[in-house]
Amino acid sequence: MFGNGNGREDGPEKWEAQLRKGCLELAVLAVLRPGRSYGLEILRALEETSHLVLSEGTIYPILNRLRQDSLVTTEWVESESGHPRKYYSLTAKGRERAAQMAKTWLEFADGVTTLVSPLVGSKKRSAT
Amino acid sequence: MTNQDPLEAYVTTLRSALSGMTVTDREEIVEEIRSHVADRVSTSGLTVEETLQRLGPVDELAKDYMSGALVKRARTSFSPFLILRATFAWAMTGVHGVAAFVIAVLGYALGLGMMICAFLKPLFPEQIGLWIGPDLFTFGIHPSDVPAREVLGPWFVQVTLTIGILSFIVTTVIMRRLLPRFKYWKKAAFHPSAHRRVAVQAN
Repeated sequence: MFGNGNGREDGPEKWEAQLRKGCLELAVLAVLRPGRSYGLEILRALEETSHLVLSEGTIYPILNRLRQDSLVTTEWVESESGHPRKYYSLTAKGRERAAQMAKTWLEFADGVTTLVSPLVGSKKRSAT
Repeated sequence: MTNQDPLEAYVTTLRSALSGMTVTDREEIVEEIRSHVADRVSTSGLTVEETLQRLGPVDELAKDYMSGALVKRARTSFSPFLILRATFAWAMTGVHGVAAFVIAVLGYALGLGMMICAFLKPLFPEQIGLWIGPDLFTFGIHPSDVPAREVLGPWFVQVTLTIGILSFIVTTVIMRRLLPRFKYWKKAAFHPSAHRRVAVQAN
């Protein structure tokens, strides 16, 4: 009953956008794992490793929400270019949540990959 | 003219769209966006306009900030105004939100109506009452052309005040229990437990 999309006529673009958006929270937590970072740096890290970000603005409300949920803490630091930057770092709770989400994600992705591989003629499934 | 400056125009719109937040929260968001634009422009050779374009439409950015903030505040609030606004935002996203919004509006309307009756009774003691007749059951003003008698008498103010206050409390409690579902709905497809359900089905 809850949000499984029965009878919804969403186009493939909308589905893809929702998928990206849904993964963004986990991706941001993953980027912050090595240490503190600020918005643009997080965006760059995401751009390098994935194509998750469609509109750069989406990342800031997510960071704001992570802070409200006490998954990250923030501090303003004066940059060498003369203006302050807002740095984010994971809290213990954030670290825990990231690990839990990562585990869920890997199980989930594994199951779906197995299921959908035949759709694009991938050999992955027959190999297992 | 500062109005011509695209960054200032963006920030001004953002500020007014975030007016429901506390000033501290809002200014911190504005500072962060300014910092982002300054960094982008100085390091990647993009113009301010291009940077703002990549940030996305300002109303969408504000909506992303507000949907989280508004619902979070409303969940712990006793303000009917705040709860109605959060439920309205929910109503914009689908049928369940609309249902919740209808419950909130009806509950608060009943409460408000009863309060108004209690307030008007001392001013118009002859017209205001609980009127019951063969074809009538109404709180409020006696319709002059329908036969009916007032049944509550001196208890009218106490009864309407009690019903009014109870309506506010009950509606607020119900909405505060319903609102957390809003977040759940939005994230349902990506919620960890949803992943698990899909994964189980996939195996």
